[in-house]
Amino acid sequence: MNSRQKLRLKFSLVIVLAILAGLIAYPQAVSKIPRLFGILDKPKVNLGLDLQGGIHLEYKADTSKVDSAQVGDAMQAVQDVIERRVNAFGVAEPVVYTTKSGGEQRLVVELAGVKDINEAKKMISETPFLEFKEEKMTEPEKIPEEIITSANEKSKAKAEDILKKALAGEDFAVLAKDNSQDPGSKDNGGVYDFQKKGSFVPEYEAVIFDENVKNDEVYSKLVETQFGWHIIKKIEIKGDGDDREFKSAHILISKMTQPQPQMDFASTGLSGKNLKSASVQFKSQGLSEPEVSLKFDDEGTKLFADITKKNIGKRVAIYLDGEIITAPTVQSEILNGEAVVTGNYTVEEAKTLVKRLNEGALPVPISLVSQQSVEATLGQVSLEKSLKAGMIGLLLVIIFMLIYYRFLGLIASVALLIYSALMISIFKLSGFTPWQITLTLPGIAGFVLSIGMAVDANILIFERTKEEVRKGRNILSAIEEGFKRAWTSILDGNMSSIITALILVEMGTGFVKGFAVTLIIGVLASMFTAVVITRTILRFILGPWIENRMWLVGAKKNES
Amino acid sequence: MLNIISKTKYAYIFSITLTVLCIGALFTWGLKYGIDFTGGTLIEVKFENSLPANQELEDVLKDLNLKSLTLQSTGNNSVLIRYASEDDKINQTVLEALLKKYPESKNLRTDYANASVSSELKTKSLMAIFWAVAGIMAYIAWAFRRVSHPVASWKYGAGAVVALLHDILITVGAFSVLGHFWGVEVGVPFVAALLTILGFSVHDTIVVYDRTRENLQRSSAKEKFPEIVNRSLNETLVRSINTSLTVIITLLAIYIFGGESIKHFSLALLIGITFGTYSSIFIASALLVTSYNLQIKK
Repeated sequence: MNSRQKLRLKFSLVIVLAILAGLIAYPQAVSKIPRLFGILDKPKVNLGLDLQGGIHLEYKADTSKVDSAQVGDAMQAVQDVIERRVNAFGVAEPVVYTTKSGGEQRLVVELAGVKDINEAKKMISETPFLEFKEEKMTEPEKIPEEIITSANEKSKAKAEDILKKALAGEDFAVLAKDNSQDPGSKDNGGVYDFQKKGSFVPEYEAVIFDENVKNDEVYSKLVETQFGWHIIKKIEIKGDGDDREFKSAHILISKMTQPQPQMDFASTGLSGKNLKSASVQFKSQGLSEPEVSLKFDDEGTKLFADITKKNIGKRVAIYLDGEIITAPTVQSEILNGEAVVTGNYTVEEAKTLVKRLNEGALPVPISLVSQQSVEATLGQVSLEKSLKAGMIGLLLVIIFMLIYYRFLGLIASVALLIYSALMISIFKLSGFTPWQITLTLPGIAGFVLSIGMAVDANILIFERTKEEVRKGRNILSAIEEGFKRAWTSILDGNMSSIITALILVEMGTGFVKGFAVTLIIGVLASMFTAVVITRTILRFILGPWIENRMWLVGAKKNES
Repeated sequence: MLNIISKTKYAYIFSITLTVLCIGALFTWGLKYGIDFTGGTLIEVKFENSLPANQELEDVLKDLNLKSLTLQSTGNNSVLIRYASEDDKINQTVLEALLKKYPESKNLRTDYANASVSSELKTKSLMAIFWAVAGIMAYIAWAFRRVSHPVASWKYGAGAVVALLHDILITVGAFSVLGHFWGVEVGVPFVAALLTILGFSVHDTIVVYDRTRENLQRSSAKEKFPEIVNRSLNETLVRSINTSLTVIITLLAIYIFGGESIKHFSLALLIGITFGTYSSIFIASALLVTSYNLQIKK
């Protein structure tokens, strides 16, 4: 193969590469040929969270209570649990990984395109906390008698004051609304619609039925009951004998009393960590009334047997995330380690609960240390704007090159377009390799910046060429000389850019990394297009015909 | 041929004055750090209809006792809310309070960093700048190892580093002023911009040094070192300016059309790269000549 043939082969390779890269970068060009379009349209640029919306969460894992030899296992377990939870969202490609940073164990979760960011966050970090509790009476602290007395004196005085106003003819409904401490009636003017006789405390009903009060009249005295002081307005009585019903209104000023002992639920030591599995089952045949069936591990089975034995005839409550779900009364001791939660679930709710219970608890607690979230529409706007900026930048650079370097500029512009297509192809094709590149907003900035830097190599070469022409060389040999002499500068200059970009990659945070990775790929690709591709095209196209057309390169021969 | 080296005095005066002013600005005003360096939360909320007054928003958030709360409205009907936060729970509370008062509002983005993350980012950034400077210096010294006459090869490295420190200081100083008067914040993106300026500024300097190296090897004995340097500068002048022009064109495109999120990032690059071009023409090579002149006097 002689050198001309070699050149022809090289040139054809450049053309093939250009067409291939162009088609991958912009498959819409062949949208009329469905089969080809179908293949070419497959590779997609993997957009970062900032461009398609999404959330980046960084959690710190507290491993202080874990033996240092087992930290690795614990972190793996955290990752597994979170991965299972995250998979429940149906996000296309959730990313979960652990990293170490300054002695801290970290877990990073990235969800692209997730709709409800806050909901996602909740699902990730909140463990379903299942707990079994038993009844317990709690004796509240006593309040000193004199405090109660003095408080009640004040209340009574207030009640008397309101009674006076009511008797003086002020609007009862307004007085009730402003003063009554009965939440059940204050807002509708203190009125209770017809109630059966016997449903109120006797002191109250005595006023309605025994005292001589007319309809729509306020009783002239304060009535004291266990609740406090009532100002009572009789409205109407209907019916006969024991079926009598009455309608009335009242204003209540509550009384302070010693707190009563309360029925409460106390922890039993049985919790979600003793859970072996959970499943959905249905109470009656068919799909009605789904229930969640729980199966305990050995320790749990023993605990549950103890608890049920101790509490026969009493209630045992099942709490989920601190809320009581159900509190069935224990009928008999349960030895098989199985329990059923009936909580008025829909099938969907029951399934979700089961899923979350089975996903289990985290082996170590995690807390959020860093979050970056971008709403999808904002990402869309950023993408459009930065692409527009890129197009404008590319166009302006091409115009500049054409004006300043004319024919050489045209070739450089072609190389620049090939460069852009090549970059987009690399982004798209990287998805098929283990080194998928994610294009972020700073990545686009890096790409646009690299367009400016890509022509630098050409400018170096062309300036050198012009210089050699000025020195009296003919154009063809000047171009060769230009490529040869400019090479060391191109290499040295780009090395310094690569060094700084590598350090940026090492720094590692999202913004910086996206920018640095595109810059590195850009610098490498631009060296290839500016040197190899431009040179091949020029060598192929240029011939002796250029020699008398100096204006094409924009240089003047210096005869002196 | 322009006698650039003869103008060294003015370039030195200009650069030293500017650098001193920038250091002064840094000492008096410092930099306005973003939440990635201070820790805290930045929430951007977009409102459907009209933007509520700052006072109204402050009233909504008053009960939450947010420390160092600032509100800043942006162009597209949205508000940037910044506050110090140590725990993620408060972020949830803030969003809920806002949604309660303005049900139609939308949380466009949330950036949150707690103190351990921000201090780590700070250390990482400083280390990155340190390693970048060291790496570049080492690379230049290595690349110019065969040139030791009449100026030692490490001096090329040192010259390039002085020039790039000059570019960095001016960029940082400019952002100190921008931060003081217009509240422009510096965060991790700013550090990325600084490192890129580093790379670019050295790139420019190297091209000039490269030409000097080449001319030294081919020059006649008659030509003095300062003359060779000046000739090299002239020969690379058009290239330096054109390259910077194309980069500045693309950066301007990003600055004007690229949207809010990368505006300040591209501004930092614009300032740094403009001064980077200036310093590789007027400072870096001049330093070589100055050091040569000192050497001769001895």
